[in-house]
Amino acid sequence: MSVTVAQAGLVTLSIDGVEVRVPKGTLLVEAAKTIHTDIPVYCYHEKLGPAGLCRICLVEIEGMPKLQIACNTEVADGMKVHTRNARVDDGRRAILEFFLLNHPLDCPICDKGGECDLQDYAMAWGQGASRMLEPKMPKPKAVDLGPTIVLDEERCIVCQRCVRFDQIITREDSLRTDDRGAHTIIATATGKPYVSDFTGNVTELCPVGALTSKTYRFRSRPWDNHRTTTSCTQCSVGCQMHVDERDNTLLRTMSVAEDDALSDAWLCDRGRYNIGFVGDERRIASPLLKVDGAWNQIAREDAIALWASKITEALAQGGPARVGVIGGGRLLNEEILLAAQLHRALGIENLDHRVGMQTIVHHDGFANHVDLEGANTIVTLGRPPSQLAPILDLRIRKAVSRNGARLISVGDYYAGSFVPETHVTTAEQLKAALGEQPGRVAIIWDGVFFEGGPELTAPMHDLPQAERVDRYVLPESPNGRGADALGLRPRDGGLDTRGMLAAARDGELSVLAILGADPMLRFPDRALVEAALRNVPFVVVTDLFLTETAEFANLVLPVCSAFEKTGTTTDLAGDVLPVVGAVRVPEGVVADGDLIVELAERLGVALPLPEAMQEQILRLVRTLPAPPGAPPYLRKTAAVPGALRVVPETTIFTGGGTLAFDPRIAELRTGARATIHPDDARSLQLSDGDRVDAVGAHGTRLRDLAVRIDPRVAAGAVALVDGIVAAPLNALGDAASVTLEKAAVLA
Amino acid sequence: MPDLITPVLTKGIGELDLRDIAVYRAQGGYEQWRRAVTALAPQDVAAICNGSNLRGRGGAGFPTGRKWSFLPNNGRPRYMVCNCDEAEPGTFKDRMLLEETPHQIIEGILIGAYAIGCTHAYIYIRGEFKRGYQAMRDAVAQARAAGFIGGDVFGSGKSFELTIHRGAGAYICGEETGLLNSLEGKRGEPRLKPPFPAIKGLYGEPTVVNNVETLAYLPYIMRNGAEWFAKAGPERSPGFKVVSISGHVRKPGNYEVALGTTIRQLIYDCAGGLRPGRTFMGVQPGGGSSACLFEEHLDVSYDFDSVVKAGSMLGSGAMVVFDDTTDFVKAAYALIRFFSHESCGQCTPCREGGHWLQRTLERILDGRGVDSDIDVIASAAHQLTGLNLCALGDSIEPFLASVITRYESQFRAYIKSNDAVPVAP
Repeated sequence: MSVTVAQAGLVTLSIDGVEVRVPKGTLLVEAAKTIHTDIPVYCYHEKLGPAGLCRICLVEIEGMPKLQIACNTEVADGMKVHTRNARVDDGRRAILEFFLLNHPLDCPICDKGGECDLQDYAMAWGQGASRMLEPKMPKPKAVDLGPTIVLDEERCIVCQRCVRFDQIITREDSLRTDDRGAHTIIATATGKPYVSDFTGNVTELCPVGALTSKTYRFRSRPWDNHRTTTSCTQCSVGCQMHVDERDNTLLRTMSVAEDDALSDAWLCDRGRYNIGFVGDERRIASPLLKVDGAWNQIAREDAIALWASKITEALAQGGPARVGVIGGGRLLNEEILLAAQLHRALGIENLDHRVGMQTIVHHDGFANHVDLEGANTIVTLGRPPSQLAPILDLRIRKAVSRNGARLISVGDYYAGSFVPETHVTTAEQLKAALGEQPGRVAIIWDGVFFEGGPELTAPMHDLPQAERVDRYVLPESPNGRGADALGLRPRDGGLDTRGMLAAARDGELSVLAILGADPMLRFPDRALVEAALRNVPFVVVTDLFLTETAEFANLVLPVCSAFEKTGTTTDLAGDVLPVVGAVRVPEGVVADGDLIVELAERLGVALPLPEAMQEQILRLVRTLPAPPGAPPYLRKTAAVPGALRVVPETTIFTGGGTLAFDPRIAELRTGARATIHPDDARSLQLSDGDRVDAVGAHGTRLRDLAVRIDPRVAAGAVALVDGIVAAPLNALGDAASVTLEKAAVLA
Repeated sequence: MPDLITPVLTKGIGELDLRDIAVYRAQGGYEQWRRAVTALAPQDVAAICNGSNLRGRGGAGFPTGRKWSFLPNNGRPRYMVCNCDEAEPGTFKDRMLLEETPHQIIEGILIGAYAIGCTHAYIYIRGEFKRGYQAMRDAVAQARAAGFIGGDVFGSGKSFELTIHRGAGAYICGEETGLLNSLEGKRGEPRLKPPFPAIKGLYGEPTVVNNVETLAYLPYIMRNGAEWFAKAGPERSPGFKVVSISGHVRKPGNYEVALGTTIRQLIYDCAGGLRPGRTFMGVQPGGGSSACLFEEHLDVSYDFDSVVKAGSMLGSGAMVVFDDTTDFVKAAYALIRFFSHESCGQCTPCREGGHWLQRTLERILDGRGVDSDIDVIASAAHQLTGLNLCALGDSIEPFLASVITRYESQFRAYIKSNDAVPVAP
């Protein structure tokens, strides 16, 4: 809500003698920006609006006896404003004197030093010495607010930006002020740790060094950092992001204030904090070839030559049907295009980037993130943005809390957006919830087909009474939409992932390449993956780490992370976004794209030049996809009598790749858990925190899950988290039901 | 002296048990409520109030009718909130009215609510007022049983609700927007204005917050006519006022007088003057937030405008009288400590400045003051004024500044050594 244009019409006023024309309703602090006059602020923030707490933004308005705060004063015709004169400077000097009375002089060791608004304004308006003779009030210097944030109470100037972020933007109401007067401090409302998917934003909002990230505290000074701006590639939202690096070490990521279109100037904690893996020593440093069950380092030329020869052999022996490629949804657009074109040039059609549950990764439209805010009715189907695209969920919260949108969640999943939602489980309820006048409708789906889906969602198929219908699909992979559009999807009789795995299991595949994917953890049937990988004569995997999938490979090729390469990615709305490398590639490691180029050279296939590629990418991502064939995965929604129906859930902190390789954020990883309805908890005699095993149809057992009780899980169902290495949900296979048994207590 | 005292709200207190609805009704109680609901349109009631020129008795002295007129005609529900969070140092008039005459408060609230088109009113009672709360609770129950509150009042088909809410002991909740937050169950912190409560108040709807005493006068203005009220006291500051007089006087207490009575009359004729042999040193005419007035001000007319002209304010109508036994450093410290303690901590000047003054005065009282302290105190108090989110911060300076100017020698006397570096004990 940077500038609220209440009504059309411009207002003319003068600021420091300069005539300014701005829309009616504009706040003075914003009006001043139009003539590049900066009015100092602490509590005010464009995205949070005025609070009137810090009082630093004082200005003089002719005709008003007292100095006024620019953050909460709307412009008026003929208003004469002075942002710099003796009176205003006196007021600011006074406010700064108050701020500095008890503020510690620890700038030399403060992370904010060099990018601190208090430091900057103190230089501009502050006095050299304090007039207070009493010692500064001591307060706790390192209060552990939660898994990510540390609070220095002495430095806090109680601007409450963090509290207001938590109230206005995330709507989670977990922060507040405690005590009062000079003892006012920031605390959690419940006294419990500050846990949210968006905590890191408060460290950026904090105008001083009071709130710091555990991962960045005392690591660097801002002037030593080197900044690159890129797109976050941890999910399909595509948030613009600054990456700060020093001595080739990634130190932190920061939101981009101007990025209204994608991130809305926020970052989720996965995007912000999951960077430590880049420098982790467990990264694969060299191509590895498995010989007699042991890994041997080999040269890349040899590795590529081997891969090429295996393809050539397979083509010669059985034709292109004996080669398959799985994955690619984490690669850049260029890499995807090259991989698809190389294989297609050889006649290979067994290409599928989909390794998870979803069939569809994008819908027939290009509605973007901002469009979502304009919706009157938002419907979520399947795993919602709060699980798959957190920053998009903030748009939902905004649309509902500020623009009055209605939120409807359908089926097994609540939206979980911390705003009121109507949850429906039948077509009749959905129809009623949509109502006669749904206005602008936005439908957000996770692309997973499930039993009973067509019947349940029938009221949404055709919405003639809606003003407009925007359909969003949340890709499971960051560049799933790019991978889908740029060719990593089976065509002309090619096999999908499930088909390839089945063929592999049955000995019908000779070469399987897995590009930056972990089907052992993510494909819905783990047993099938394992059987397939064991039966393919040659499996090549590209990854940063030896994941479970890579362990099954014959050849593993180390590759760059997205922080080490440059190209483009595609967000969930079908926009092509830049990815810019921030740190140097480790010795001996190249990008997936480079491997594909080298492979193509070996195979004698000509690939498009970069310029031609850009044109193709832009054209292809704006081309609507062909309708999907039969879904490779159909989520079952009926349970065996006496068992609980499994509802797979996702969090942003799961996965066996990057996230598993940064000990600093180990606490953030989602633990194995089983969430059940209170009624089932009662009948099974389970309470919150109990440990259970989930036992599947064939006796498969997910061990030691923490019980959570939540009425948002349907009675008779159990929500199990997908993508946890210690308890891989896909080990249950396609089985739809489990029983819960109390975990054996070890003596 | 009997001529000075004009009992309106205080009539019968000490003689009759006005907490009993039958006794109150025998005095004509609830007749004006009946008249309003059954015979008058809301705008007629508002017009009567407007004609009386009644100004708010809670502190700011804002014309009540004008406050009501700010409500937008937007079809939204409206709320009347009676502010009974009386906590201004020296003030104890609302407490007496609440404990002794709850029914006239109820009648006033209902009439005020009717006038503004509100059907659900609230009374916010200071947490410490347990006796008053019980009296109000019982009175509301009686009024409900009698059919004055609830559905179909007087067979009019109209219904009116009154909810009692108890505060939890924060001075800042007497500030109207702090009160509204507290009433909503939020932290008691003043809201940023604009929007003002008339536009966006309780639960985000148009709201009027009126003081207990203000509303309690409504039944009498209705009964006796606007003219009766308007003609008592000065034209721009008319009517009666319950004045709480305390401090160094022989008969401290609540005295209801017509505005325009002089400060001298109030102190000497009503409150019995000073103790024998004592000299008058000053008076706070309007509670802890008001600047001290001195001997030369004794003949100032006690009304909203004259007291402001004299350099202070009528405030809540609480006089605290100081004789020559007063240690003004300690008196100032007591108030500063109060304001610093009661600061909600939201905005910078009040939060930091009040605490700074408190600590400095503590050091001075501890015998560790230095010469420069006097100037720093005066300057700090001055620079924190006029920059705050609400009026609490601006309440810190007036008394301190007035006595530090008048009785600087008392402050100097605490400062024994010049330029001594203060050492914490």
